Amino acid sequence: MKNIEFKDKSAQKIYDNYFGRIRRTISVLADNDKQDVLMEFNSHIYEGILNNSNTNEVEKILKITQDLGDPEVVLKPLVADKKLKQATRTFNPKHIFEAIFLNIKNGFVYSVFAILYILLLGFGILMYLKIRYPENTGLFLKDGEFVALGMLKTNENVTEVLGNWFIPAVFFSALTLYVLLTILLRTTRKRKKE
Amino acid sequence: MNSEFVQKWQSQVKKGTLAFILLNVLRDNEFYGYELIEQVKKYTTIEIAEGTLYPLMNRLKKEGLVTSKWVEQESGIPRKYYQLTAIGVETLDEMIEYWQSLETSIKKLTK
Repeated sequence: MKNIEFKDKSAQKIYDNYFGRIRRTISVLADNDKQDVLMEFNSHIYEGILNNSNTNEVEKILKITQDLGDPEVVLKPLVADKKLKQATRTFNPKHIFEAIFLNIKNGFVYSVFAILYILLLGFGILMYLKIRYPENTGLFLKDGEFVALGMLKTNENVTEVLGNWFIPAVFFSALTLYVLLTILLRTTRKRKKE
Repeated sequence: MNSEFVQKWQSQVKKGTLAFILLNVLRDNEFYGYELIEQVKKYTTIEIAEGTLYPLMNRLKKEGLVTSKWVEQESGIPRKYYQLTAIGVETLDEMIEYWQSLETSIKKLTK
């Protein structure tokens, strides 16, 4: 992006400071989205300067940035939406976490997603418990009927059926649920009207 | 008169019709962001932070109503032009129809 150069140092400072705020607001976005927002605001400021007959650069840049508004406020919906798009495309847990956090106030449905993703952590705990307490952790059946999935004080009546397959089974279940949940999140984003 | 109530109502109406206004502005011409805002200001007395227009354009793009393209300029600072898609034109026609029927009803009511 080509920066706008001002003759007046104070005007330059206001411009640089405003762009610093935009950069901070959009820091969680993908590089191409960041570039797009920066270029669009830069273009707006440049055109604003050209169309403003005032000769004072400081007054010009102040008027334009004030009319644009606080980047932290005006860019909020754009950041939340673009982050969600990136997260559901890449399936990256870090992006998912950030996207849910940014969208949590945009609807009850995102709180539900947050809870469901947190519940997925339970699968990780199960895998840890299996390593730590192999005898007491697993899928337990009694006379062919389900008793428990998790930790149990074993006794003669119950049988753990997965054995060494417990960790792979839990891992792939978690992975499948994660993918399904993320696809559902993507569909929700597309359907949701602001 | 409860002027505070009227002000709040006006702000809600303006907010709710902004997308409609933008689509109308884009009906016959493509515009870049700054120009688009100038057009909106020309036709309405909308008092919102101009920066909010960009997330709104992003939403209209997401809905498939507008497309955008970057056009290089001699200045080295490109402009991003927005234009209506075919779906955008159809959607706007539907919105205009609704607006006109609403206008007729309101006129009858306020006669």
